Amino acid sequence: MTDVDLLSYLEESLAPADMARIEQALRADAALAQRLAALAADREAGSHSVGAIWRRHRLSCPSRSRLGSFLLGVLGEQEAWYIRTHVDEVGCRICRANLDDLRNQPVEPAPAVAGRRTRYFQSSVGRLPANRKP
Amino acid sequence: MNPSEADTLVIERIRAGERDAWNQLIDCYEGRLLAFVGARLADRSACEDIVQETFLGFLTSLPNYDARRPLESWLFTIAAHKLTDHLRRQQRSATLPLEADSASGGFEPAGHARPASSLVRSAERRTLEERALVDGLREMIDHWRDREQWHKLAVAELLFVRGMANREIAARLKISEQTVANQKFEGIERLRNILARRGVSADWFPELQP
Repeated sequence: MTDVDLLSYLEESLAPADMARIEQALRADAALAQRLAALAADREAGSHSVGAIWRRHRLSCPSRSRLGSFLLGVLGEQEAWYIRTHVDEVGCRICRANLDDLRNQPVEPAPAVAGRRTRYFQSSVGRLPANRKP
Repeated sequence: MNPSEADTLVIERIRAGERDAWNQLIDCYEGRLLAFVGARLADRSACEDIVQETFLGFLTSLPNYDARRPLESWLFTIAAHKLTDHLRRQQRSATLPLEADSASGGFEPAGHARPASSLVRSAERRTLEERALVDGLREMIDHWRDREQWHKLAVAELLFVRGMANREIAARLKISEQTVANQKFEGIERLRNILARRGVSADWFPELQP
């Protein structure tokens, strides 16, 4: 298990299967847990990592519209290969979530979506800043 | 990813207290946030609660939100924290010791000595270094995208984002180890040059050491 795997675990940015694998390993291996703690402390102290900065800023993630084009099969062969690699091999959780959401949109019943969104809105609108409009 | 004009506008409207803008943000992002959380949790109701907490967390953090950061990334960062909190409450996620193992002397990136003063330099300096690296990486990624050099981008991601060894990347992408090594060398040199142009030493970044 690499340091990058452990740092990505802290960021909740690994693929679900890898997250579960590390969770299990941490429960069984105290030395690994200490290593993780040391990495977390180093990160808190401000140590730089190209990988962490790249992940944090999502520098190479395709836009949602490119992901949509990928699902429609209208991208060139090489770019489509890259997106598969980005999602499956690099394991980008956020692009995976975008793809799942785009795939799910035509399937999920509209009333269920509307009900959920209304709940989110009603539970949070009270925290909105005061309206400054005259 | 850079913040879009649409995101910038919707944030301005939310800061002004416009309910329609808040509704618009929820409509736009709740599906992908739910998919993100749902990849780790089978309990649909718990997933929806976490997304709800994410939106509340976003409004709480709004005064500190840096508009240069993409809105989507910020929302996913909040969702990841809320998800981790939930898993810890369920005792699924390992609880970290509060302090690093002092006996080990703390983490040092494998194979690269890190300057001892790195931990005491200013937060301002670190921010400047990070910005220079982000600009440099963007320049490099755009260069590859514009030329449709998708393999180079994939190799760089597996190297830096996943920290994989050359051999593993070669096996995954079905290319030679020498090709990976060449692309790694090219990427590191390009980044070192870009950082030098911006007056930032590559020595602060362990992965960029020759």
